[in-house]
Amino acid sequence: MSAAGIVDAGRQPAAAPHATQRRALLTPRRSNILLVLLGAILLPSVTYRAMPLLPSRYPLALAVATSIAVGALSLNLLVGYAGQISLGHGALLGVGAYAAGLASSGAGLPMWLALPIAALVSGLIALIIGFPALRLRGLYLAIVTVTFGFAMYNFVLQWNAFTGGSSGVSLVRRLWGKTIITSQADMLSAGLVVLVLAWLLDSNVTRSKLGRAFRAIRESEPVAGSFGVDVSRYKLLAFVLSGALAGVAGALYGFTLYLVNSETFNPPVGVDYSLLLLIIVVVGGLGSRAGAVIAAFVFSLFEFIIGDRFGSDSIIYGLVPILGSLMLMLTVARHPDGMAGMLRERRHRRRRRAAAADDGDHAMPALPSMPRPETAARPLAMERSLPVLEVESVSMRFGGLVAVDGASLRVDRGEIVGLIGPNGAGKTTLFNCISGLLRPDGGTVRFSGRDVSALSAHERAGLGLSRTFQQIGLAKDQSILENMLLAQHVLAGYGSSSALLYTAGVARSEDEMRARAVQAIAALGFGGREDVPVRLLSGGQQRIVEVACALLTDPELLMLDEPSAGMAPVMAESLADRLRDLRDSMGRTVLLIEHNVPLVLDVCDRVYVLTAGRVLAGGTPDEILAHPEVVNAYLGEAVA
Amino acid sequence: MIQGLIVGLVQGGTYGLIALGLVLCYRGSRVLNFAQAEIGTASLFIAWIVVGAWHHPYWMGALAAIVSALVIGLLFERLIVRRMETASRLTVAVATIGLFGFLVAVEAYANGPTPRYLPPPIKGLGPQIAGVYVSWTQILTYAVIAVVALGLTFFLRRTDFGLGVLASAQDATAARLVGIPQNRVSMFTWGVAAVLSALAALLIEPTITLIAPNTIGPQLFLGGLAAALLGGLTSLSGALVGGLLVGVLSAEATQLAPNGVAGVYTVVLFAIVIGVLLLRPQGLLGRPPARAESA
Repeated sequence: MSAAGIVDAGRQPAAAPHATQRRALLTPRRSNILLVLLGAILLPSVTYRAMPLLPSRYPLALAVATSIAVGALSLNLLVGYAGQISLGHGALLGVGAYAAGLASSGAGLPMWLALPIAALVSGLIALIIGFPALRLRGLYLAIVTVTFGFAMYNFVLQWNAFTGGSSGVSLVRRLWGKTIITSQADMLSAGLVVLVLAWLLDSNVTRSKLGRAFRAIRESEPVAGSFGVDVSRYKLLAFVLSGALAGVAGALYGFTLYLVNSETFNPPVGVDYSLLLLIIVVVGGLGSRAGAVIAAFVFSLFEFIIGDRFGSDSIIYGLVPILGSLMLMLTVARHPDGMAGMLRERRHRRRRRAAAADDGDHAMPALPSMPRPETAARPLAMERSLPVLEVESVSMRFGGLVAVDGASLRVDRGEIVGLIGPNGAGKTTLFNCISGLLRPDGGTVRFSGRDVSALSAHERAGLGLSRTFQQIGLAKDQSILENMLLAQHVLAGYGSSSALLYTAGVARSEDEMRARAVQAIAALGFGGREDVPVRLLSGGQQRIVEVACALLTDPELLMLDEPSAGMAPVMAESLADRLRDLRDSMGRTVLLIEHNVPLVLDVCDRVYVLTAGRVLAGGTPDEILAHPEVVNAYLGEAVA
Repeated sequence: MIQGLIVGLVQGGTYGLIALGLVLCYRGSRVLNFAQAEIGTASLFIAWIVVGAWHHPYWMGALAAIVSALVIGLLFERLIVRRMETASRLTVAVATIGLFGFLVAVEAYANGPTPRYLPPPIKGLGPQIAGVYVSWTQILTYAVIAVVALGLTFFLRRTDFGLGVLASAQDATAARLVGIPQNRVSMFTWGVAAVLSALAALLIEPTITLIAPNTIGPQLFLGGLAAALLGGLTSLSGALVGGLLVGVLSAEATQLAPNGVAGVYTVVLFAIVIGVLLLRPQGLLGRPPARAESA
C-alpha cells in the first residue's frame, strides 16, 4: 500500500470558504423566529379581544398548559438528553414560583425580572443538590431529588415565616410602572413568548457541543469521557440548565394562578408535578422537544377538560392519574421512544435499508488524515524528544484479584507498539489505566514527559491521548455525523454560555467541525449516509468510523484495543496496511492490543507480552519470537 | 431519649426491611425500585378492608396484605420487568416510578382522602424498660425484623437457590451459563421484595396510626432509600444496619424539634443522603462503586 492511498482531506480547499462565509443579519431561521414570537404575542390577545364569545376559561387552561410545557422541556433536557432522572422537578418548579413571588410581591419587581430570578434561584438549588449526586455514576440524582422534594414539601414549605405555609405567596404580574397584566389571554401571550424562548435555548443546546455531550453521556459515560467530555461537569450542567428552566416554568405557573402555596405542585388530589412531568416527557418521547411540548398541552388540556366537564371530584377525573401512570409503564415497556419515536421509526427503516445496501466485505478504506484546525491550539507544548508514553510499574487490583501487577512500558514517537497476551492477562485493564478510565493503585503514567497519573480520562483525551474500545467506543444510537462531531469535542473553541446563545463564533466553529466531519465521512466511503445511526452499520464499518473519530483530534497517541474484533476477514487483512499508513504516511504513534499475533509481529516496531498482569517480555518482534518463555507460555507451537 | 430510641428502632427496622427489598432488586435486576414501599402501602388498604370493613381478625388482614403485595410484585415482574430485560436500566427505573404513581392513584381513587385505621396486632402496654413502656406491638416488630433478617440471610447463604440468587446478582450471564434459572431468580427477588414491603408497611402502621394515600408510602420509601444508600445499596446487612441508624436518627430529631415544627425527619433523611454521597458514596458496608471498563 503506497502513500497515495492516504486521503489528505485537510489539504483540500473546499472547507475554507464555507467556514468563513458571512452570515446575513436576517437569516431564514431568524425571520421565522420573529414570526413565531409575533404570533405568540398577538394571537391569544387579539383572538380573545376580537371574539368575546369564545369560552373564557380556555386562556387560563392554555396558560397553565404553556407553563407545563416549559416544565416538560426542562425535564426533557435532563432525562431525554443527558439520561439522568430527577424526581424532584415539582419541588424545583415550586422554588421558582416562590422566588418569583417573593421578587414580585415582596420586592416589587416586574414580571420580566422575576422570571430570570426564578431561573437563577432554581438553577442554584439544582447546582447545590446535583453536585454530590452527579460526580457518581448511577441513579444517585433520582435518589437525591426525590428526597429533596419530600423535604421541601414536608418541611421548608410548611415553614410559615418564609414561605407562608398553606396560605402561600402571591405573585403580582407587573409589567412596568403600574401596568399589570390582568387578562388571562395576555398572560397566555407572555407564557407563549417564554415558551418560544425556552424552545430556542433548548435547540441551541441540542445543536451545539452541549447536546452532543449530553447524548453521549446518556449512551455511555466511558465513551463520552474518551472523547474528552468532562462527564461530571456536563451532567451537572444539564441539571442546572434543567433546574433553571423548571424555575421559569414554576414562576409562569404561579403568575398564571396569582398564588403559590405548599400544595401547588404537590396537590393532595391528582398527580404530583414531578410525576406528571415525567409522564409527559416519557410518553411524548424522551429527547424529543416537540413530543414534550405537544404531550404537555395534550395532558394538561385533557385534565382541564375532564375537570371542567365532570368536576374535579368526579369519578372520571380521578381516573386521569391512573391512566397517566399506566401510560408511563406501558410506554417504557413497549415503546421506549414514546410518541415521537413511533413517528421516527418509519424514517429509520429507510435508513436501515440504505445502510444495508453496502454491507459487503470490503477492504478497510484509507483513513483520512485530518490536521488539527488552526483555531484549536494545542493545550500543552509537547516535548518532541521525550517518549510519548511512559508507564512505570502500574498496578491495578479489583478486590482480591490483581489485574495488572507492576507493568511498565514505553512508546516512542512515530512507532507502533503492540501489546499481546492471553485472555485475562490485563491488557485492557492496563489500557484503561493509561487512558484514565481506571485509577491504578500504584505506578505512574507519563504522557510526553508530563505526569498524567492524577488526570481523569477526559483531561488525558484533551492532551491528545485518543483511544478505541474493544466493543466500539461510539454513541451507537447516534448518526455517523453526530459521532464525528462528538469526536471533535475538545476542538470546539467555545464555552457553554455562548453555546446557549449560539453566537456567531459558535456557528463558525460548528461549521468548521461539520466540514471536517463531512470530509472524513466522504473519505471513508460513507458519503450520503451521514445520518445513519452507527448501530445499523456492520461491526467492521463501526470500527472504521471509530478509528476515524479517534484520529479527528490529531492525537499524539492513538490507542487501539483489538481493532480487528468484529471485522470481516477481508477487512482484517487490510488492517495491517492501514496501521502502516498511520505510522509511515501520517506520522502517528500507535499503541495496539491485538489477538492476531502474526499481524502484530508483522507491523509493530516493538512488542510487549503481558501475562497475569506482568510484562513478561518486551522488544522487537524478532526478539519476542526468540524469547523462550514467551514461546512456551503464550505463542505455543503455532508460531514456533 | 429512650423513647426516641424505642420508636426509632421500630421505624428503623421497617426502613431496614424496605432497604432489604431495594438491595435485592438492585442486585438482582440492577433496578432501583421506586415502588418498593408503595406496594406494601397499597396492600395495607386490603388489610383494612379485611379487618376494618369485614371485621375479620388482624392476622387474616395481615395475611391478605402480604398475599396481595406478593401478587402486585409478581405481576409487575412478569408484565414489565421481564419484558424489559434488554432495555436500559434507566427505563426500567422509570417503569417502577410508573408503578408507584399507579398504586398511589388507585389508592386515592378507590379510597378517597378518608384516613383508615387498623387495630394494633397485639394490644397492651407491655414491659417497662428504663422507665419507658415498650408495647407488645413494638416487641413483635423487633422479633419479626430479626426473624426476617436471619431467615433471609440463611436462605441466601446456605441454600443452593439462595446462592444462585447471589451469583446472578454478581454476573447474570455467567449464572445463566451454569444453569441457574434467571426467570425464577427474578421472580424470587421481586416477590420477596414485595413481601418485605408488606411486612414493613404493616409494622410501621401502628406508629403512624393511620392509612391514607400519600402518608405511609413516601415516609417508608425515603427512609428505606436513605437506609439502603447508607448501607451501600448492594449490602444486605448494610441495609438493615442503615435502616436502624436512619430510624433512630429521625426519631431523635423529631423528639428534639420544638413543638409545632413538622417534618424535621425529612430534613434528616435529606442530610443523610447528601452526607453519604459526599463523604462515603460506597456506604458503610458496600463495595466501592465499580467503574465499567468497556464501552
